[in-house]
This record gives sequence, C-alpha cells and structure tokens, in this order.
Amino acid sequence: MIRIHIDDQTVETKGGGSILTEAGKLHIRIPTLCYHESLSPFGACRLCVVEVKQGRRWDLTTSCNTEIVQGMIVRTDSPEIRRSRKAAAELLYYKYPRTRAIRDIAERLGVRVTQTKEDARECILCGLCVRACQEIVGVNALRFEDRGPDHPGEPPRIGYLGDSCICCGACAFICPTGYIRMEPVGADRRMIWERVFEMGACRVCGKKFAPLAQLEYLSRRSDIPLAQVMTCITCREAGIPASVVDEKDWVSMHQHR
Amino acid sequence: MRKQHPIGKGDPQKIPSQQSRFPLVTTWGGRFIDRRIKNAPTMADNFPGKLEELPFKGIMTWNGIVVRHEDADIPSLTYAYLREARKISCGECSVCMIGLDRVIGIFRKFIEGTGTIQDLKEIEEIAYQVSVNGKCYFGRSAALVPVADAIKHFRQDFLALITGKRVLINRGYEFAVTAPCIEACPASLPITAYIEKIKNFQFRESLELIRLQCILPGVIGRTCTHPCETACIRQKIDESLSIRLLKRAAADEDLKEGASSLPLPRKEKPEKVCIIGAGPAGLAAAYHLRLFGYGVTIFEGLSAMGGMAAVGIPDYRLPKEVLFHETNLIKRMGVDVFLNRGVDLLKWDDLKEQGFKALFLSVGAHRGGDMGLAGENDLVDGFEQGIDFLRKVQERCSDIKPVRKVFILGGGNVAIDCARSCLRLGFSHVEILYRRSRKEMPALPEEIDEALKEGVKIRYLTAPLRVKSKWGRLEGLECVKMKLGDPDHTGRRKPVPVAGSSFTLKADKVIAATGQEVDASFLTEQDRKKLLRGNKVWADPLTCQTDLEGVFAGGDCVTGPATLIEALGMGNRAARSIDAYLQGKPYRPQNFFAGIDTSLQRNDGFLPTKQAVRVRLLPESRRMGDFIEVEAGFTRNEAMEEARRCLRCYRLMVWEVDKPKEEQPKGRGRGT
Repeated sequence: MIRIHIDDQTVETKGGGSILTEAGKLHIRIPTLCYHESLSPFGACRLCVVEVKQGRRWDLTTSCNTEIVQGMIVRTDSPEIRRSRKAAAELLYYKYPRTRAIRDIAERLGVRVTQTKEDARECILCGLCVRACQEIVGVNALRFEDRGPDHPGEPPRIGYLGDSCICCGACAFICPTGYIRMEPVGADRRMIWERVFEMGACRVCGKKFAPLAQLEYLSRRSDIPLAQVMTCITCREAGIPASVVDEKDWVSMHQHR
Repeated sequence: MRKQHPIGKGDPQKIPSQQSRFPLVTTWGGRFIDRRIKNAPTMADNFPGKLEELPFKGIMTWNGIVVRHEDADIPSLTYAYLREARKISCGECSVCMIGLDRVIGIFRKFIEGTGTIQDLKEIEEIAYQVSVNGKCYFGRSAALVPVADAIKHFRQDFLALITGKRVLINRGYEFAVTAPCIEACPASLPITAYIEKIKNFQFRESLELIRLQCILPGVIGRTCTHPCETACIRQKIDESLSIRLLKRAAADEDLKEGASSLPLPRKEKPEKVCIIGAGPAGLAAAYHLRLFGYGVTIFEGLSAMGGMAAVGIPDYRLPKEVLFHETNLIKRMGVDVFLNRGVDLLKWDDLKEQGFKALFLSVGAHRGGDMGLAGENDLVDGFEQGIDFLRKVQERCSDIKPVRKVFILGGGNVAIDCARSCLRLGFSHVEILYRRSRKEMPALPEEIDEALKEGVKIRYLTAPLRVKSKWGRLEGLECVKMKLGDPDHTGRRKPVPVAGSSFTLKADKVIAATGQEVDASFLTEQDRKKLLRGNKVWADPLTCQTDLEGVFAGGDCVTGPATLIEALGMGNRAARSIDAYLQGKPYRPQNFFAGIDTSLQRNDGFLPTKQAVRVRLLPESRRMGDFIEVEAGFTRNEAMEEARRCLRCYRLMVWEVDKPKEEQPKGRGRGT
C-alpha cells in the first residue's frame, strides 16, 4: 500500500496511478484538455499542474503523467498553481482565440475572454487523436509532423497516413474542438481527413453499414472471415440464413462467440 | 545539426584586437557579474573556457548571456535568439512554442514602435511560466531563460527600445545547437533529432538523419558502447534513454519495411580516392566521398567488409546479415570493393600513377598484442590471442574443438566476447582472469551481466605471470593475486601484486584478450618513419592528415583499439577533410561547444519519472550451442514509448559576430 497526501487528505492506495486519478477519487477537480482516461497521459496542455513537495520547496508538475510514490505530498490548489494554469490557458487563448473549446476552458481558469459565437474549430495539437489511433485502434494512421529543429518555420501539424486509415472515426469522436470531422458523402460513402471511403453492404439485408476498410481490418485482426464480419448487427441478432454464409464460416463464428 | 559559420573557414584563432580576454558582463549559470562596475569580482570561473576562441561581441546561450564588447546590442541579440529558439521548440506542450510566438509578437511591436512597459512585464511572466511549466528541458532551461536574464540585467536597453531611443537592427548572427548526448558521441550523431522522429512515428525520416553521420545504423545500434547514454541528463531523474536501441529500431524498421537504399551522388567528380581497409572508418569515408562524387576504390584483406565488426564481434551480438546488408548498400552506390586483396607492400607513388589523388589508411589493429608473459611467444598449442580466436569463430567455427577448461585474460569487451563464444561452442569451464575488480572493468556492464548469467566465471584481482607448457602443449597458467593501489593516469586504481601469493591454474586453453596492435608490415621502411609514431599511424586528430602528402588515416590504426563509433566518426571527418584537400580548400571543423559543460542547466524543476523500456532478451537456456542474437530490439511501439522519454536537452547559442564592417555576414536575424 502506498500512502500519499493530497490537500491535507491522506490516501492509502494500491499505487501505479497518477496524481490526477488519485485526486479524482477524492472528488478533487483538476482542469485538463489533453487527457483522456482511456489513453496514456501526454502532459501537453499543462493545465493539470499541481504542486509536489520537494524538501522545503513546492515544485510544479503535471498531475496526469506523474505517478504517485510513497509519501508524496501534493497540493492541487495554490496561488502559484492558479497562476500557472491561467498562464497556460492564456497562451492557448492567444493562439486559438476563435476556437470555442479553448475559450471555454480559458474563461473557467480566469482568463478574460471576448465573448463571441464564432467557432473556428482549430487543431490545438492536444494529441488525443494520435494516441487514440495508436493505442486503441492500433493502426497508426495519425502522427505529429513538422516538429523539432528540422522544420524551421513550419508550424507543427497532425499528419495523416491515408493508407493505414480504416475510417473508424475514433479521432473525430475524441477531438475536443471538432477540428476532425467525419461526414457522409452521398448515401454510400464516408469522408474523414478529406479521404473518401466506400461503405460495405451487409450480406443479408444489403444496408451500407460500415466502411469497408474498417471491416477488412476487423477481419484481419480477429481472423474472422470477412464474409462473416460483413453482416450488420441487426441481421446478426436475427440469425443468419445459411444461404448467405457457408457452413465453415458458421462454425468458426460460433467458436468465436 | 551544427552550423558551420563563415569565420570558421578563415583563421579562427584570430580574435579582433579591441576585444578583451575577459567578458564585460555575464549571467552564465545565473550568476550576474558586471565588470563595468568598480570592484566587481573576477569572472575567470564564470566564463566557459572555449568561448574565448569564438569571435563574438555578445553571446546568448541556454545558460546565460556573456558580453565581451561594449558595443554589443542585447535587445537585437535577444530577438535573434528568440527566432532560433522558435525553430527548436516542438509545440508539443502549450506553453513553450506559443510562449515564444507571443514574445516574438511583442518584439514585433517594439519594431513598430508600439511597445509598452507592460509588454516587458508580460515577457518576464511568460519566461517564468515556460521555465517552471514547460514539458521538456528545452522549454524549461533554454527557451526563454536567457531572455529573462536580458530583460532583468539590461533593462535600460529595453526601455530605450520602448521610448524609441533604440531600434532593433540586424548585426549579423551565428548560431550553434547541440545536446549533451550529441557532444558525447564521437561521431556527433544528431541524436535528439532522430529520437524526435521516432517519437512521432517517422522511422524512415529518423534513419535518414542517422545516416548523415552513421552509415552502419544497424551495426552501431547493436554494438555501440553508447557514450551518449552515459551523458544522458535523464539519468539524474531515473535512468538514461536507451539511445542505442532506438537507433537500432530505426534500422530494423527500415528492413521490415523493405530496406531503403542510400542516396546517390548528384554530380560526379573526376578525382579518385583509394581506401585501404573496409572497416567502419574506411566504409564511412567511402560513403561520404562517394556522395561528394569521387570515385572510390577499397582494398580489403579479409573476405568480407566490416573490419572488426565482421571478424571481431560474434553473431549473438551482431548477426552478420545485418552487417552485410549495410556494407552492401555502400557498395551499391558505386564504390569499387576488392575483397581478399590485402596490400602487402604499400607504394603510394604507384597508386598515384594509377590515378588516385588521395589515400585513406584504415587498416585497423588486428594483431594481438604481447602481454609480457613469460612463455607467451613459445608457440604453445592451446595459447591463443583473443582477436585470432574471434576471427576463427567467425570464419571456421567448426574447426574449434571445445576443451574442458579455458581461461581468458583481460577485462575488455573482447574478453567477454571470447568467453561467451566459448560457452556457446561447448567449453565446459569458462573463466575470465582480470587483474582489477569489477568496478574497473572496461567491458560494457550489460555485457558482463549477460556473461555472468550465462555461466562465465570471473576471477578478479588475478594476473597471469607465466604460460606453463610441456613439449609445446599448454599445461597451465601461473598467476598471482593482486590488490588495488593508488589511481594511475587513467584514474583507475592500479593493481599491485601481493607478495608470495602466486599459484598455478591447470588449463586446457588460454586466450589472451588484453589488447591489439597495428600490423604495420605493409609499409615500406621509409613510409614507416614518416607515418608511424610509436606503433600507431599518426594523423592530425581534426583533419586526419598524415605527414605524407595526400595520405590520410583513421580508425583503430590511428587510435589503437577503440570503438566502432570512434572509427566511424573519424571516417566521416576524413571524408570531409579529403574533399577539402582535393578541392584545395582549408578544412578545420569547429566544435563550438568544446570545453563548455553542456550538462549545465538552470530550472530542472520536477519531472515525472518513467523507467526505460526493457528490451526482450533470449532466455539463457536457448543461448547455448548456437549463436542466435540475444537482444530482440524494440518493436515499433516500444521504440516510440522509449523515445517519448527524451527530455530534449537542446543547447542553443546565438552570438553577435565580431567582424570588421565590410566582412559583415548576411545574418538570419532580421530587424528594422
């Protein structure tokens, strides 16, 4: 058991968690922008800073990616913490004044914000999409580009590798500003990152229900024959007529269940 | 990574006369000293040594400002610094890059003449926030630290900017970037940059950067002694980054993705260069010379390219497919390689007649050195040199008959390689004798650990005295116990024999792995006099030039037995030097950071710890009887995870060039 102190509360915990998750258990709210509980912490937005006691000194650190250690003394609110959070939010607001998600969080952290209805939905480089694509989907279709000393002048951006993309839409779902959008193109196609994907039709009812690339990926990853994956959920629950799927597929499908 | 500045091409030693030896003002390391004020303390200890040689009026570095000339324009220098810093900032965290953008924006206001005192306060606040809340060490300790210094200590100059008494002007600036790991690397690989690429899933781009300075990435990624990791700042927090394995990951990934080829020269040049020895130094030189467009011919005495990497490193550490793939890539650029064609007697004049304009000697150090043991030169059956043994393991493995008891003399990597090879060949008792203790052992610690795990025994503080033999057959080894005395010139404690402690070990085989020498028998008597100093070839450490016109040398034959990466670094340098020689231009590489402690930094703050990703190793039970590679290397995701641990300790220096007006270079800093 690890014993830590957060804001005068003593917590005993199994360890392995971050300050942010431990504080969450105590119902302490820490602002975050680039954090998602299903993804590895990134420490990019610098809004979740807390202070950790180092000898006599209090040092700032990001709570999302700081693992707790035995005897750690943490405080989640102080003038210094509020000042740093506000400064980080101010800089984000300076860079992306036209994006509503940024305005909202900046305002909450005490930045004076000009009220407007406008929402430019800019990419704020929080990296949520990159991590979701790598860690959850597992295809690595997104990455940061133009970073570091080799790209002077180029602003960093999210690079899209269309060949790896399966059009699952996880990046669009997780994007906090709405910069990434997945849109239908006509009745049977779908577009993401300006690439158009064909939709696969259900083998039973013929409904176009999911991008073909995604179904192929699922089949590849799970070793379930594509024919079987290409049955929409409604038809699958209704039971599949033997005329559509051959016997061998049936057997393997039941094994998988 | 490093920018060659125009002055380097002239005479770097000459410092303009009006400039004094000591700086006027420094904030180096956060200690402010102003010599313009009476009774200021002396600052010999507050002035990084080698900056003296750099012709600058004022310099802004990650660790503070140094001003040498009253005329230096600090606000303009600050603006130039900001623009360079902005290029290094990665934009990963929200404070550093946006902070720099904001400060540059404020400087634009100064240029337009709309700045206010409030703006100075804002710069100070941003600088403070970036230094306490930046994600990496570039942000925390370099991005705005000297800018804050400038505003604090040169406030008058900035106020003059606001009131319009001063304007930002371009005085001509130069800059240099490095990091502690890059400084530690003998071949100056752009380490931070290639790690950044791996972090962002750009393995191919990463390999391209590695290949700029290291033409055998897969080989070095497996065998390097990684001085970079020893210099890594991360070990102050938890442990060093696995830089070697990251380089290997970039090379492995390239092989998986279908092996890219090397670039071809853009323009052919008529001159031909001859290289003797296809080891790391020779290959590195060949690659760069070929890329410059020269015709390159290599003569190699062995049956394969790679030198020591081919015959000195066993397969369980470096599978030869990797080496041969990488050496063949160089061959495919149009380098003529003649294998099994050692030079018996070198005649430089004959080669010149054949049209070669320059010669690069990289013959290595392939002859086992004498240990000074009694009876070691008696041609005893069962007594062998380590380097000969390893070559036999490589070339005629089946010829080696395992015996029961083998003793290996020495504590370096060759000794460990011999011992681990012996175990794999089926020797039942493998023991290393080393005259000092584990702490002084020069072999890589991880190699020693693996050897012990596999069952190698190490007897410390034991030195051999005499090889005992009967009728030419080895019988045993007379040894003496040692104790550690005072430190010698290498800083290690010198072993001293304990009187009356000699004893005899029965041995079936003894392998001496205590050092190698250069085999200089291929040189004529006359050349030997000119080229050799002691038993090594002498070459200028910077230009690799020998005392013989048109002859350059590098690698183990110059340094004595050293590491692959050192040889590779010398090969790189030799190629540039040969190019300069053939083009009739002076060559003098400048290391702007020589003598400056790049590990220094201000504002470390608190950083979350994260242990290094552990690399998977072959289970010990599967290692014996075979030479399967032990280390698995990182997978893609493991490499990316490890790369994310990099703290990005970029060190940036920007200086205002001190030059006569007419020679003023076109700087990158722009002003009004």
